[in-house]
Amino acid sequence: MSTLDTFVVESTISAEADHYKQIVSDAITDLVLAQSIEHIKVVIKPEDTLFQMAIVLRSGLSPVKVTDFAEVGVGTFGKEEVVIDIDNEAYLPQLLENLWTICGRINVHQPERKTVSVSCENPLEHISEIEEIVIEDPQRTLHSRLVDMAIRATPEGFRVRYHSLNGNHFIFVATEDIMKNEWIKEAHKMLAEFTGGESHGNSA
Amino acid sequence: MATVLEPYIYEGGIYKHGLLLELLEDLGGYLVQKIPAATEITLVMLIPDKDIRLMEDLSTKLLGKLYKSPLTGTEIAVVSPTLAYHHLPHSACDVAEFLRRGGCNTNMIGLARGMGRRVALSGDYERKLINEHDIALFSFGTFRDCIINKKPKLFEGIEVPVVVTGAPDIKTEDIPNADMYIGGIGRISHRLRKGSELDGLDNMNAKVSELIDSMREEIAKDPLAVLPARAMKEITDQIPEISTVLTPAPITLQLDGLRVKLPYDEFQERIGNIEFDEGPILSEMARIMPSKMKNYILIKIQTKSEVSFGI
Repeated sequence: MSTLDTFVVESTISAEADHYKQIVSDAITDLVLAQSIEHIKVVIKPEDTLFQMAIVLRSGLSPVKVTDFAEVGVGTFGKEEVVIDIDNEAYLPQLLENLWTICGRINVHQPERKTVSVSCENPLEHISEIEEIVIEDPQRTLHSRLVDMAIRATPEGFRVRYHSLNGNHFIFVATEDIMKNEWIKEAHKMLAEFTGGESHGNSA
Repeated sequence: MATVLEPYIYEGGIYKHGLLLELLEDLGGYLVQKIPAATEITLVMLIPDKDIRLMEDLSTKLLGKLYKSPLTGTEIAVVSPTLAYHHLPHSACDVAEFLRRGGCNTNMIGLARGMGRRVALSGDYERKLINEHDIALFSFGTFRDCIINKKPKLFEGIEVPVVVTGAPDIKTEDIPNADMYIGGIGRISHRLRKGSELDGLDNMNAKVSELIDSMREEIAKDPLAVLPARAMKEITDQIPEISTVLTPAPITLQLDGLRVKLPYDEFQERIGNIEFDEGPILSEMARIMPSKMKNYILIKIQTKSEVSFGI
């Protein structure tokens, strides 16, 4: 969790806040969000049945390209193929899926566990094209993971919820009673502490 | 003087474990549960206290381990206000697992509407199901205010002793209608592995054992007409269909009865007619009822004072 610049959990009793911090921390770890969150503040007031959370996400999560996890080159002399040597197998399924779509399934082979070859004419011309294929866009999955994290971290019974996602700014307020405007305003203030007053959320 | 049976667990290789079972039968002990796992086996047993030495010697010879398991012969309901999948792993799972290591059988019950503060509720069916157990252990969370002021309404209608676990340090008497509070085990969203968490679970097992001991003492004042373990043995011997039941514990022992995992309509009469060497049949000493759990049979053994004899 060292990558988070701010990670604050506040509650009426400080020992309970420390305990709840572990729950939030587990949710962040499970959903691999530690790299994506810059600031997070959670306030939980059990006596008011109130849970508030403000998050600032890190911007500029660059998409993963083939060059980020593999080396692309030509095959052995005389063979018309592009050879991709993979360092990180985690992206292999997405890589194969992309290559099947672009080059056709019949042209894509996997002679070894960490090697993929693509049969094509003039392989030298295709190297740069394959290197630039975007395999994964973390920004696309980030928002759904963020919402999932908020639901996991919230006490189960707090079903009346407000959320606002505006660019990199996320606010989540949950309660089991009627939502009060002042609670939402408080959450926006929590966010403003991080951003210096740039917060303006959309209700949902 | 009646034989005192002590609960023990044997853990060792499956090779020659039959010798142990033969010795147990010769000594007049009972096998409560047999859990084979590949080449290993776990035997949950009740051994006559004077002959424990013999069992220990044979266990050592077979390179196995024999240790005391104070919770053997009990069935505990581990109740969680919610078992929602997005909160997995639940700390209640580890609570139940640790209780099982103490020898008891646990059933996890996730309440349909138990979550929240003002909105927390328990249903009539849920309460009846919980009341079929020896103890109800409620696994609560982090906040003192919730545990003291809001969650105790879930104990309404629970007639068995109520044990509560949670994170804060609270006195039992501060929680209305609870019989015991165990701190240090709150809502934790990872498997309990850290030293402090395991200490909390050890403490829980010790305290629940104390509660079980006091319940056993209470029962001993007016003993049961027949030992549940004895009834279990007779059912196993006289109803061969029980060997076809695939659940881990086809007959589950309780402090004052047992749960037989066979269909009620089909088997209740045969179970009632189980004969004992001394003469009486089971229905003369026990109430045989349909269980709220699936279509199982629940047997509650009556006390000697109720039936005016005992075997």
